[in-house]
Formats: sequence, structure tokens, C-alpha cells
Amino acid sequence: MHLRYDDDFVEAAAFMCASGRRHGATALQVRRFHSDRETCYAQSDVDERNAAFFKVHLAWFREWGLEHLLTGFMGEYPLLPGALKVLAFRQARGRNEEGAELYVSTGKVRNAMVALRMDRLERDAPLLRFLRHEFMHLHDMVDPAFGYSPQVHLPTHNQTQQRITRERYRLLWDITIDGRLTQAGRETMAGHGQHQAIFERAFSFWPEEKRRHVFESHWSDAQPAHLELLALAADPRDLSHAQEPLPGGSCPLCHFPTFEWVSVGGLAPDSLASIRAHFPHWTPDQGACKRCAEMYEVAGKFELPATMVV
Amino acid sequence: MSNVFNWQLGREMDFPYDAAYPDQQFAFIFNLNRCIGCQSCTMACKSTWTFSKGQEAMWWNNVETKPYGGYPHHWDVKTLDLLEKANPGGQTWSGTPKDLKAPYGEFKGKTIFEAAKTNISPEGAQKALGYLPTDEEWAAPNRYEDNPTGSEKSQRGQMSFTSGEVSAQHKTWFFYLARICNHCSYPACLAACPRNAGYKRPEDGIVLVDQERCRGYRKCMEACPYKKTFYRSTTRTSEKCIGCFPRVEGRDQASGGLPMQTRCMSACVGHIRLQGLVQLNKDGTWKEDRQNPLYYLIHVAKVALPLYPQFGTEPNGYYIPPRWVPRPYLRQMFGPGVDAAIERYSVPDRELLAVLQLFGKDQRICFRYEIKKGPKVFETQIRGRKFEMFDDTIIGYSKDGTKIVETKIEEPFHIRPDKHANSI
Ligand code: SF4
Ligand code: SF4
Ligand SMILES: [Zn+2]
Ligand SMILES: [Zn+2]
Repeated sequence: MHLRYDDDFVEAAAFMCASGRRHGATALQVRRFHSDRETCYAQSDVDERNAAFFKVHLAWFREWGLEHLLTGFMGEYPLLPGALKVLAFRQARGRNEEGAELYVSTGKVRNAMVALRMDRLERDAPLLRFLRHEFMHLHDMVDPAFGYSPQVHLPTHNQTQQRITRERYRLLWDITIDGRLTQAGRETMAGHGQHQAIFERAFSFWPEEKRRHVFESHWSDAQPAHLELLALAADPRDLSHAQEPLPGGSCPLCHFPTFEWVSVGGLAPDSLASIRAHFPHWTPDQGACKRCAEMYEVAGKFELPATMVV
Repeated sequence: MSNVFNWQLGREMDFPYDAAYPDQQFAFIFNLNRCIGCQSCTMACKSTWTFSKGQEAMWWNNVETKPYGGYPHHWDVKTLDLLEKANPGGQTWSGTPKDLKAPYGEFKGKTIFEAAKTNISPEGAQKALGYLPTDEEWAAPNRYEDNPTGSEKSQRGQMSFTSGEVSAQHKTWFFYLARICNHCSYPACLAACPRNAGYKRPEDGIVLVDQERCRGYRKCMEACPYKKTFYRSTTRTSEKCIGCFPRVEGRDQASGGLPMQTRCMSACVGHIRLQGLVQLNKDGTWKEDRQNPLYYLIHVAKVALPLYPQFGTEPNGYYIPPRWVPRPYLRQMFGPGVDAAIERYSVPDRELLAVLQLFGKDQRICFRYEIKKGPKVFETQIRGRKFEMFDDTIIGYSKDGTKIVETKIEEPFHIRPDKHANSI
């Protein structure tokens, strides 16, 4: 596994040390750092100058112990060094940009990129909490036992459902990660209580006892698996196994969740024909929501494309 | 360290260099009661000076929403914090105001230069107390500024906005704070530079960074309490507001050789800005120049106040404070002159009302004004005080006596001749 850094990442990190925002640099070191940098300005070729700066910044990045800080605990993630060709670090310009990403090329070469905000480098403990969490994501992603796949939704889902599923999935995954880290005696990004509160909000439709049980079983799950997390995230109400339309299930026509199912038997033949024209595989036992029923009723009357009626 | 006289603080203070004052000083006034946060000034500056590669996160002019906003993020809170830590409970004012030499009384606390001795960075004591913002803090101006209550600290996605419902009803206030480099009389950026790359032009006091000398130490960025020098990633040097010096020198073709206000001043949609050049005495105090609009507003009417004078750089940017903002907040930001300034601005006298008409009227710099008296047109009570309005005419002149503005208090009334079909 090769380590790579973005130019501006090492530069900003070195300046964190030189300015004292991160402790540990001595006055003499800072003077040498600046005089090393000064020589680079003499390079007139832009590419050569950038390369020279990178060399100086990286040398001081190492001298000030940042490389060791970022990767010194890699031994806790035994699969990563063998699985990744490159582990790269870059600056994140905001919280939403932060995190670890795995990139798999066509030749199945796996590279990872960790993005972090520079102020994380100010103090060791919060930085390590962040890194351990993100490395665990990566470790899971390359672990065959976890069985990760980037497709975090069901094929039948619409965009909204996909987004909600992804959010629930990440939430569940984060619980198992911080649960395992806690088990291993590490400090975590969020504790048991914080995770539980978020979980309770996201799965508030479950009875309390079920919530507690599912949360605890994930918090203490030593070997979580992608497919299990996905199944729970994608269909927490277990609606896909229901034989008939259930309150809150999604309408097979518009895919919006609905609490207002119509009795299909009561629909006019024109409406049924209109629905079948648009959904050849639809059968009346799948049901339809009230909105769709109304729309196709009008569409049936006017012989217009359903999309024009709105 | 030398001893220099800082009239905004009403006392002498430490500064790393001996005092040296320009013949005249670039200065400006922003009337915060009128800023609408349109960012026209920001874009006028950006499209003139900072549109090139490496300058993406560089906003020489920025407009932030107070109290939550700041660019770079929390710049003023962080510096105020450092000062408070260096001198707990001691950042206070007292003493009697004296014209020109101590208009706001005396500052008893520590400036960034005085507090620096106790703030040890890796290279020893700093020249000026400060901190270096991270790239992230520079990256996005106006981040979350206009959100009523934050999503910033909460979770991603649908679990955001955890505390959105707890806003304090009817207690909300905010205002737009437009900022550029203050071309300070005692610039911290200049004081901190180990290579003497920063300098103050003797002809107009504009503070510049010599790009040939700068070697990207970022000490100016650390020291400037207003965070108005910026690192350029392509050249690896610091750049800052240049006060549009070619315009100020009268080299813009449109000015016909007369000194001209900067781009941001001229572009201001809200007419909140007035920039000029003021004459200085040998000790750095302002030379009496009664008919200069800046001198009048700052030293006679005293409605315009320096931004965070307690930092000690003697900034040359002045602000008419917004009337509706809680006074403790304003006193912290503009010093003890706030109450009197708002009082005078809220019920302006005849001269003040006239001089306020000069804001945004012409791009050229006004060096002198004259008022021609007109009839009384209106009278009322404002919070128990009598307010009279006269339809006076104010005339502004450029450096060489050329008339550049002539305007009345009352809006002119134009009657369209009835030869047009749509005249009524
Ligand atoms: S505002 Fe900052 S950059 Fe501008 S002159 Fe003052 S110290 Fe220097
Ligand atoms: S152009 Fe004027 S009104 Fe608009 S944001 Fe700038 S200072 Fe405010
Ligand atoms: Zn996570
Ligand atoms: Zn439907």
C-alpha cells in the first residue's frame, strides 16, 4: 500500500505546525522550515517549483510526525495494507466533504481516499477518533465477510426511497462501527447514547422494545454484514413480504408511500384499461393509491396520456 | 518596540516600528444602516482584482451577516477570545473624551501588540497576537450565515435541524457588515512580516505587500486581526486589498485625472459608502479639515466609528453603527462612541443630513463640501426630540476645486412635458 497526499494537504498541515496551531514544532525547526521553503521560490518553472514545494512540505510533514499520526495505527486494520494499492489523504473544505471513499478501477485495483478538515490536525485525540471510524468503513468495504457492494438500495426503489435507504444504511453501519470500536476500548466519534438517540428518531415507527433490541444487537454486532444492514435499511417495515397493500406501503404505480389504498374492484373499466396501458405488468391485487386511481380515472375518460392530465 | 500614539485609543501604545505617517491617509465610512447585503461590492472587487487562478478563495471585499457570520469563519470572535485570554476582564475603556486625541476616551486594555508578548508561538513571542485560519475557514464566505438556527453541528441528511424549533421569538436581529482592508495606521500585517514585504505608501497610506519580497510565511495572515491578507496557492505569496490605488491616484480614464473612489465604493447599490483622503498631523492625528466630509463625520458629528478599535491597529475604516442592534454588541465592535453616534444619526441635524447625501453620489473623491441653505420643508418629533428638515443643497469638490456633486435634501421633482402620449 502506497501513501499519497494532496499538495495542499501537506502544505496546510505543515503550516498548522509552523504557526503553532498544532503543538510540537520548535523555533529552530520553524526557521529551517521557512528557509527550506524560501529556496523553492527561486525555481522559475512552475511545475518544478510546485514539485520542490511539495518535497519540502512533505519532509516537514514527516518530521513533525504527521505521517506517523495518520497511519501509525494501521495495524488495527489488518486487511487494508494488502487490499489497497493507494491510500491517499486530501483536505476537505467542510464537514460534508469529510470521510473515506473506496475507488475500484475496472482492473479491480482498489484505492482509498480520506478527506478531512485541517482543524482536525490541531489535537490528536479527536483526530484519531475520526480516523479510526473512517478506516473501519474502509476495512469493512474490503472485508469479504462484510460483503460490501456500492449498490445501497433495492433495484425497485425510486430516488427518494434510495436516498432514505442510504441514510438509514449509513446510520446502521456507523452504529456497528462505533460499537465495535467501543468494544475494542477505543474512543469513538459518537457514543452509545448519541447513536441511540439518532437511531430512535430514524426508526420511530417501531415499537419501543423492537427499537431497543435492534439497536443493541447492532451496537454489539462483532461481524456485521452488508446485506443484513441493507435489508433493514431498505425495508424496515418488512412491507415487501406483505400479501396485500399495507398502510404506509408504496403504491406500485407512483411509488409514493400511501395510507389511502382504493378498492380496485370498484374502478371503472376505462380506468383499469388506462392503468394497464401504462403498467402492463400490473395486476389488481397489487392495489393502487387514491391519487393514482383518480388520475387514471380522468385519463380513462379523456383518452389522453395520463401525464397530461395533471 | 516603540511607543506610538493611537488617537482611537486615546493613549500611547507599543508597536514594533517607529511611527511614520503618510502625508494623507486613505479612509472610508460605511453606513451600516443602509447595507442590503447585495454583494455588488464583493463582485466589483473580485471582477477587478481577484479573478485569476489561485485567487478563488480570496475576497478582499466581503459582506458578512452579523452576529453569526464571519469570513474567515469566526475571525472576530477568535481574536476577541485571544485578547480576553491574554487580559481577562481587562479589555475596558474609561477616561474623558478629548477631541482629535481621545474622542472615545482611553482604552485601558491590551492591544494585539501589547498582548502578543504573552502569546508564544513556535518562533517565540508573536509581533501581534493572532492565529492562522485554516484553508477551510477561508474557503466559503457567507456559510450558514442566514440560517435561523444551525444545521452545522447536527447530523447529515434527514436527521438535520435538530433544534430548529427553539428560536427566540421576536428577538432576532442581524445586520450586514461590509469589510475591506482598513489600511491601518499601525498595520499588524506589516509589523509581523519577517521579510519586510509589507509597506505603507507615504503618499496615501495604502498598505501593500511587495510580491517580490513575500516568501509566503503567512505571518501577516496570522497577525492581521481583521484577516484581510490572503494566501495565493499558485504564487505562494500573500495578496491583499490594494485600495484600488490606480483609481485613487486619478489614473482611471473615467475620472479625467481626478482622484477616484475604489471599485467597491463606486459599485455600492445601497449608497452606504464614502471613501476619501484625509490630512494628517506629524503625530498621526487628523489635521483639522472642517469641510472634508470624512473629517466632519468622524471628528465633528462623530457618527462614524472605527471597527474594533481595541485591536490597536488604528484602522482607517469607519462605520455608522446600525440603530437596531443591541448596544453591548455594538460597543464591543465599535467602542464607547456608539451611543452618541446612534443618537446623532437617528435625529440628524441640518449639516449631518446634508453630508449624508454625499454617499454614493459620484465616483470621484470629495475633498471638500459646501452647503447652501434652503427653506424648511418638514418638522416632526423623533423619540421626543424635535427634527427639522431644510431643503439645503450640498456641493462637493474634488482636490483641484472641480465641482463633482451638487444635490438637494429633497428629491427633485421632474415634470414631463405633455407632448408625449403617455404624459398625464
Ligand atoms: S486590515 Fe489587516 S491587512 Fe489591512 S492594513 Fe490592517 S492589519 Fe494590514
Ligand atoms: S454593494 Fe453596498 S449595499 Fe451592497 S453589499 Fe456591498 S456595501 Fe452592502
Ligand atoms: Zn461513518
Ligand atoms: Zn400511486
